[in-house]
Formats: sequence, structure tokens, C-alpha cells
Amino acid sequence: MYEEIHFPGQQKGEEILLLLRRHWFILFMRLFFVIISIIVLAAAYFLFGDLNSNFQESTFYNLLVFGESLAMLFLWNFFFILWIDYYLDVWIVTNERVINIEQKGFFNRNISELKLTKIQDVTSEINGFIPTVLNYGNICVQTASEVGRFTFYQIPNPNYVKNVIVKLQEKANAEEGRELGKTVRGEL
Amino acid sequence: MGIITLFYLLIIIIFLAIGAGIIFHLLRYKINRRVAGIMFIIYISGSLIFLVSNIIFFRSVNWNQIFSNF
Repeated sequence: MYEEIHFPGQQKGEEILLLLRRHWFILFMRLFFVIISIIVLAAAYFLFGDLNSNFQESTFYNLLVFGESLAMLFLWNFFFILWIDYYLDVWIVTNERVINIEQKGFFNRNISELKLTKIQDVTSEINGFIPTVLNYGNICVQTASEVGRFTFYQIPNPNYVKNVIVKLQEKANAEEGRELGKTVRGEL
Repeated sequence: MGIITLFYLLIIIIFLAIGAGIIFHLLRYKINRRVAGIMFIIYISGSLIFLVSNIIFFRSVNWNQIFSNF
């Protein structure tokens, strides 16, 4: 399912089990400004045409079209900046660890990871009317390490993701216990 | 006229600089190569269309007449 997915520091044989991004509604809310701007630009074009029937022959018609075209040029860039910010914020759950890749603007990128065996507690939370209806929320992963807390923001289906992480953590802990037992018994 | 062209060039340079940043992020941090490739093609095609049309619209504006009205 995730054969085409690549992330920095990916190890050989590491299997990606979940790839999570923020809910589509978050992207839609961010793109709302772009959508509104396009509507305003279209409305301005038709409004000037309606106010003055000879507007298309006037000198200012070309200026209006040029201005709207320039605005579209920057809206195009703005749309892609928002999309990149959404696309590059990823939480990946593999059979060995949890990876948090966070893109903040153009020049800030944080990548942190957490071994499944270091997880102490997983909490999912859905707060508010829209998150409840659309089923998205946050997941907090409590750890024993210095990082302390690992948060997945506004991800779809948080309860399911929480259950998957808890099961993986239990499995990883059981395997670690078996390995430790073998070492103690001198089998390794 | 000269000042307007210079100002317009500055705006286009800002647009291209932001565009370079977008392309860098699309190609450098590709998590899914296919998605990144498709979005790169969409971005480049759209930018070229918008940029060429904007230059044509800029040239079609009669700047002398506009400024003589004020």
C-alpha cells in the first residue's frame, strides 16, 4: 500500500503501516482565502463591466485584466505554498517506530522519531463540533525519553490510529521481553 | 514607463523566487515521488501560462494614457 512512500532515514526492511496527514478539512480551511480571492476577482471583473457598458473599450479595461492576472499569479504560488505545507507535514507509523516530519514555512523542517518500545501512553482527543462530525483530532503519545510528548495534529480517525499504535507497542514490548529472556537464559 | 517596467520586473523576480522555493520543496522532500512529480508538472505548466499571459497583459496596457489621466 505504501510502496511509493519514502522518508528520510528509512531503514531496509522497515514496513510502513500508517501514513498520516492532517484531515482534508484543514487544507480546505487554509485554501478558503484563495477561493474567496478568486471569487472577489471574478466579481470585480463582472462588476466593472456592468457599471459601465463601454468599459471594455476604455483604457482601464486592460489595466483591470492585468491587475487580476497579476493577482492570480501570486494566488497560484500561495496555493502551492499551502499545499506543500500540508503535504510535507506527515506522521509515519512503521513496524519499528513512529516518525514525525513537520514543515513550518519554507525554511523550518523538524524530523523526530520514537521507538515503539519507548511509548508509555497513547491518548486520542476529538474536540469541537466540526472535528466530531468529520472524525478528526489529535493523538498524544507519551514517552519516557527527553522529548516527552509526541503529538499528531488534526489527523483523520484518531481512535483507530490510537488502537493501531497501542497494538504495535504491545507487540514490540512482547518481542523485546522475549529477546531479553533469551539473553538472560544464555540462548543468544 | 521605465519605472513601471522596473517595478514590474521586481514583482516578477519576487514571483520567480517564491516559485524556485516551491520547486525546491517539491523535488527535494518528495515523500511520494508520483504525487510530487504530478504536482511539479501542474505547477510548472500553470506558472508558465499565468506568467506568459501576465506579460502579454502588461504590454497591452497603455501606461502613458493611464498616467496622463491623473
